[in-house]
Amino acid sequence: MTRARRRRPYGVKSAPYVFLIPATVLFLLFFALPIGYAVHLSLRRTEVSGLGLGRGARKEVWAGLANYREALSDSELLHGALRILGYGAIVVPVMLGLALLFALLLDTERLRLRGFTRLAIFLPYAIPGVVAALMWGFLYLPDVSPFYFVLDKAGLPAPDLLDGGPLYAALANIAVWGGTGFNMIVIYTSLRAIPGEIFEAARLDGCSQLQIALRIKIPMVAPSLVLTFFFSIIATLQVFNEPTTLKPLTNSLSTTWSPLMKVYQDAFVNNDIYAAAAQAVIIAAVTLALSFGFLRAANSRTKQEGSR
Amino acid sequence: MKYRIVAACAAASLAATALLTGCGSSDDGGEGPAASGPVSLTYWAWAPGLDKVADLWNKGEGKKAGIKVTVKKQASGDDLVTKIITAAKAHKAPDLVQAEYQALPTLVSNDVLADISEEAGDVEGQFAEGVWQQATVGSAALYALPQDSGPLMFYYRKDLFEKYGLSVPTTWDEFAETARALKRKAPDKDLTTFSSNDSGLFAGLAQQAGAKWWTTVDDKWKVAIDDPATRKVASFWGGLVKEGAIDNQPMYTPAWNKALNTGKQIAWVSAVWAPGTLTTAAPDTAGKWAMAPLPQWTAGANVTGSWGGSSTAVTNDSQHKEAAAAFAKWLNTDPAALAALVKESGIYPAATAAQTGGALAKPPAYFANQPDFYTEAAKIAKGTAPAAWGPNVNVAYSSFKDNFAKAAKNRSDFAPALTAMQDATLADLKKQGFGVSE
Amino acid sequence: MTTTTHPGPVPATRRRFALVPTAALLLGAVYCLLPVAWILVASTKSGSELFSTFTFLPGSGFADNVADLSAYRDGVYWRWMANSALYAGVGALLSTAVSAVSGYALAVYRFRGRESIFNVLLAGVLMPPVILAVPQYLLMAKADLTDSYLSVMLPVILSPYGVYLARIYAAAAVPGDVIEAGRMDGGGEWRIFRTIALPMMLPGLVTVFLFQFVAIWNNFLLPYIMLGDDEKFPVTLGLFTLLQQGSTTPALYTLVITGALLAIVPLIALFLVIQRFWSLDLLSGAVKS
Repeated sequence: MTRARRRRPYGVKSAPYVFLIPATVLFLLFFALPIGYAVHLSLRRTEVSGLGLGRGARKEVWAGLANYREALSDSELLHGALRILGYGAIVVPVMLGLALLFALLLDTERLRLRGFTRLAIFLPYAIPGVVAALMWGFLYLPDVSPFYFVLDKAGLPAPDLLDGGPLYAALANIAVWGGTGFNMIVIYTSLRAIPGEIFEAARLDGCSQLQIALRIKIPMVAPSLVLTFFFSIIATLQVFNEPTTLKPLTNSLSTTWSPLMKVYQDAFVNNDIYAAAAQAVIIAAVTLALSFGFLRAANSRTKQEGSR
Repeated sequence: MKYRIVAACAAASLAATALLTGCGSSDDGGEGPAASGPVSLTYWAWAPGLDKVADLWNKGEGKKAGIKVTVKKQASGDDLVTKIITAAKAHKAPDLVQAEYQALPTLVSNDVLADISEEAGDVEGQFAEGVWQQATVGSAALYALPQDSGPLMFYYRKDLFEKYGLSVPTTWDEFAETARALKRKAPDKDLTTFSSNDSGLFAGLAQQAGAKWWTTVDDKWKVAIDDPATRKVASFWGGLVKEGAIDNQPMYTPAWNKALNTGKQIAWVSAVWAPGTLTTAAPDTAGKWAMAPLPQWTAGANVTGSWGGSSTAVTNDSQHKEAAAAFAKWLNTDPAALAALVKESGIYPAATAAQTGGALAKPPAYFANQPDFYTEAAKIAKGTAPAAWGPNVNVAYSSFKDNFAKAAKNRSDFAPALTAMQDATLADLKKQGFGVSE
Repeated sequence: MTTTTHPGPVPATRRRFALVPTAALLLGAVYCLLPVAWILVASTKSGSELFSTFTFLPGSGFADNVADLSAYRDGVYWRWMANSALYAGVGALLSTAVSAVSGYALAVYRFRGRESIFNVLLAGVLMPPVILAVPQYLLMAKADLTDSYLSVMLPVILSPYGVYLARIYAAAAVPGDVIEAGRMDGGGEWRIFRTIALPMMLPGLVTVFLFQFVAIWNNFLLPYIMLGDDEKFPVTLGLFTLLQQGSTTPALYTLVITGALLAIVPLIALFLVIQRFWSLDLLSGAVKS
């Protein structure tokens, strides 16, 4: 891009910085400071004198890296990490694959019931989490589930959804059901931004709908795909809602099934915010490596493919 | 790029440290000048209808004393304790909180609760010893006033017991026999289930057997979750689960509700507040249940444990400790207040005088077939074994959930699960820096 | 610049509508709607029917449930709905504004530190909200803002997800030459943003608004830790107190289910209102089919 003008209009150089002031201030106040404090907490621990029941018997003292050492040597945290990798391996491809598929389908010409299906697929995202345990309890528990009822009447074997392998499917199903809709809308919005002339030109060249979808639409929504993938990785590494929802229904889920559940247990149940903070920092570091690593890789690939 | 992130985080951390810890901990909330003029108190509680009870005070005693109490309804649970502790850290805690007994040592050790022995210690005689001792946390101070209690008893489907020719068990051996007998006659039914999700029930059963999970020896804590009494209880239930004589699924799920409603489970070891839960869970079977004392370890004894129960406590952040203590005392000892508590909040009062007569003269609607429900309950409540809570009950409870879930699921021995629970609790106490005696 | 999609007469052998895509989407819709159907059916059941009848069999008590919900503590549920509307409406509006301005800046300008700022902003989501809740509370306490409406609204205004989304949509929808043209016409940067770029970004910003609205509407942890006054609770927190009534009191299941169902209705309404923006091409005024 050549700089044809030697004189830039006033304010152009500083404009982006000015535009970013609100975000920066809010970030400092509500992200940087709390994150900083959480890191600070991760380096402390409590110390109790005597029975710990008198006034001032509990103190907060410097702990150095003790919390980190303990978190890294905790086998439960490691097992939790392996569990969620397995969970993520199911959820991310299925959810994003469906989201992309539905978005492309929604963008088809001469589609009927577009508004209805778009709303219907989005709706799960809008369901408040407070009813989740009840809802999935009714749908998954054999004694009350209509699916077991149907399978039973049809004489087919019904796996125990809340145990072993099927448990992962049950959990993944909740995530896919809840998350596909919104990712679909994100990709769909990107599709709507593609100018129509491109399709006209492609059609004049003799491309079929399928070819248009694969060769033109998908590459043009690549940035949206990268975004949804990026946040899905983060969501997987920080999975909390799905296992917590199913926990009261079955013996198969521990209170620390996922790493973030362990963080929650320590922070909100065991009243040990210090250990929780250290674990959270470790989880954040791993998430950083994986998600930003992915972002780097994806962006460098799109840069290689040139223009835009 | 990464260095910038690290640098930014480090800078933020330092800034946050300075900002948030600069003020340190000020001295305790303190009494302002002696309460002159109207006083307004906030009360965090989850019991339903408590605002109506507070209304009684605001229009009556409170009006005379110039003390107004506003109830802010919260959600109960473990996280509420953390919410209170966090608020107390920031000196924003309310004047009064509703606290379950097992949370009291945790709250006290976090400097949340004020000692109200001066203002309210004189009502000690109105409560059973085992209940009062939970509010003093075994010390000379008084940290809360007992509000309600939950003595354990045995509920069963009278009609189905007759149908299958089962006798009501009075000892745990008889209980095991009844479970097996039911299985022989109706293999698809269960007497009850062992729920790995309900730590409070297991704690109550251990109390009945004489267990004292946390005790203090000089200045040290002793954790005895793995003591012979609890081991007896764990092996008993583990044995039944292993045999398949009882179910192993958690309670309070839609499936469990349905099981109670359809007679798939025909008994429930539960506390005095069970009628409320049964009304919601098994409405079709109203009037078909009966209540009996909890099966005993020794024939002829009258010992029971507790499941649930909460108290009213005053926080250190309160600027009006005397006023708050006065309200707490009224709430839990005044006959009109207790009657309102029973009626509006549906609780079983801890004050001994209120457990018979008055509001509890009639049986609960669900147990219309048992007119002497509350008289019997009061007799059972007399034998409540003392509870012994420590400063990390939640850790023990979580450990129970995880270890016993595995054991129940695999229908394996419960003894290793109990040992794991003991180890986890002890380790956590040590980690927090408490002095422990092994 | 209108877009046409039919470059000629439709051959007679073509169907009048696309069958396979419609059918596939319908399948997806049914899959998504089944659990929603549960909420609908369950809210029609009275307390005695909830756990005793077949799961998908409608009950008879919907009107009663709604009446009971309204009567609960003198209509506090509607207060909760109003609170949710306030938090989500104002919060999402402000959040979309911040995202729009930030996304635009990151997409359109090339400046030093652009990627670094973006990456640091994005890194904000790495720490899970679970661990940020307590520090955010302590911060608000220092500012004496806890238990206030602001304490729930301020922390959610900046959404890294929203900024990223806005950046993508700005990059896709706002061509560089249009910006240059605007500058050559003598417009200031803010004027260019407001009059040229913003309308072009509108469909994308609508998505950002929708996302933020639903996220704030269903947010639980932040209000939980910040608010002690139950009159300020959003619906999520309010319904949670109905579930968690303590070990001695049964949960008010029917009220919770009915309350959850009613809480979805405004979100559906919002979706229906804004979805026309996805079909609008504001520069030309034509509707993209």
